[in-house]
Amino acid sequence: MSYQLALQQLVDSALPTGAFAHSFGFETYLERGLVFDEAGFGVWLSAFVSQQLTYSDGLAIRFLYEGGDVVGLDAALSASLLPRQVREASTKMGLRLLEIGAEVFPSAELELYRDLVTTGRAAGHQPLAFAVVARSLGVPLQEALAAYLFATATSLTQNAVRAIPLGQNAGQRVLRKAHDDVAAAVERVAHLTPDDFGAVIPGLEISQMRHERQRARMFMS
Amino acid sequence: MGELELRVAVRGQRSVAVHQYHQGALRVLRPHYLDDSGQVCYVVVNPGGAYLGADLFLLDVEVGDGADLLLTTQSATKVYRTPGSFAEQRMDLRLGEGARLELMPDQLIAYREASYRQRTSVTVRPSSSLVMAEVVTPGWSPDGAGFRYQEIRLRNEIRVETDEGTHLLALDNLLIRPPAGDVTGLGFMEGYSHLGSLVVVDARVDQALADELHALTAGHDALAGVSLTRPAAGTTGLVLRALSNSTGELNSLLAGCTNLLRERWQGQGPLNLRKH
Repeated sequence: MSYQLALQQLVDSALPTGAFAHSFGFETYLERGLVFDEAGFGVWLSAFVSQQLTYSDGLAIRFLYEGGDVVGLDAALSASLLPRQVREASTKMGLRLLEIGAEVFPSAELELYRDLVTTGRAAGHQPLAFAVVARSLGVPLQEALAAYLFATATSLTQNAVRAIPLGQNAGQRVLRKAHDDVAAAVERVAHLTPDDFGAVIPGLEISQMRHERQRARMFMS
Repeated sequence: MGELELRVAVRGQRSVAVHQYHQGALRVLRPHYLDDSGQVCYVVVNPGGAYLGADLFLLDVEVGDGADLLLTTQSATKVYRTPGSFAEQRMDLRLGEGARLELMPDQLIAYREASYRQRTSVTVRPSSSLVMAEVVTPGWSPDGAGFRYQEIRLRNEIRVETDEGTHLLALDNLLIRPPAGDVTGLGFMEGYSHLGSLVVVDARVDQALADELHALTAGHDALAGVSLTRPAAGTTGLVLRALSNSTGELNSLLAGCTNLLRERWQGQGPLNLRKH
């Protein structure tokens, strides 16, 4: 039980990492009129969780837990997040998480990662900052993964509720359905190999790239 | 099985092969020069005509300092049934200082029950210039339905090497696995059948160029996106991804982009391989 409250604080949507400002390409679908309701957003969220979030963030968290070198993993994320805004979102939120973590959950591992970032040897990605803190708190990998993936789904759903807009209850129904995708993702992450790291699906990636040139936008990614 | 080694260097005004080796089902045709730029063009041939289960194809290509190579294929890469196994192509590319490589293979077609892994590792210097284009088709099956293959993995790793060390610039890892779910819909192929990809690494790559190439895609019947990679050691990459419904449309889009780069950076005319 020792880490339960700490984990809840770490993945609470009130944690000020700036997640409200990022749609990870979802806004491009909104603008093209392809996602406009609860069902459509559910399809998008399912693709995002089961693909990008699984193969990039989820796998990065697992590799860090297994003792992977944080510098190498940080560089691999910077290289594999090809849409510029997604890469920037990951490090923007990562840097905030590193700051907050240093205030409330300090550890030697976190100090090391922060030091690598401040000296320019690492970019500071959100999943790695999260994994460093969660691991230092003694959160088991499976729990950490589920919490991270579901927290991301939650902030994206809150963003969709505002942007589409959806009713609050519709948002909760989408999140309930996301349980299955998150559980499947946690299971899949355990079986992936280094060759799978950073695998993307083309449509998501193109929408994230196209967001850079969208005229009117609420979100930074 | 097939193995191919090719090393290109500058001799006088032209780039020429200084080392060549092949074994098994891979070889290159006699080199030719498509213009007076000195760029040598090699065409890779797979006399077997196709990749099958457990086939492994190894290509090792080095473009020496200042040398200029255009590498293409004679025909589409066809991957047939690979039951319980997969066909694999591993390509190692090394570019020296000021070296240039245009890698323009024909489209990849994976047929029913095919699994294919393509791993391309590129090492460039900050002054190298790399352009890689690729088209993946849905691999129609005899009943006319697409996406009947098992899995396609296309993984490009691009590193920038300096005297101080090596930086990972881009890890471009595309995975399409039709049996795992509907790959045609939202987030995946977006209702399109064909996928095109262009990777450019050059110190002259910048946001203005990315915007220009993106504007160029608007003239095509395709859904495209362009973004810059992280910068590393003074160079930057650019990745363009496009979805469309035909190989021809994607080839014309990619040719529009690569011809713009040829003209702007090399003063070279549009590429015309006269293969078809």
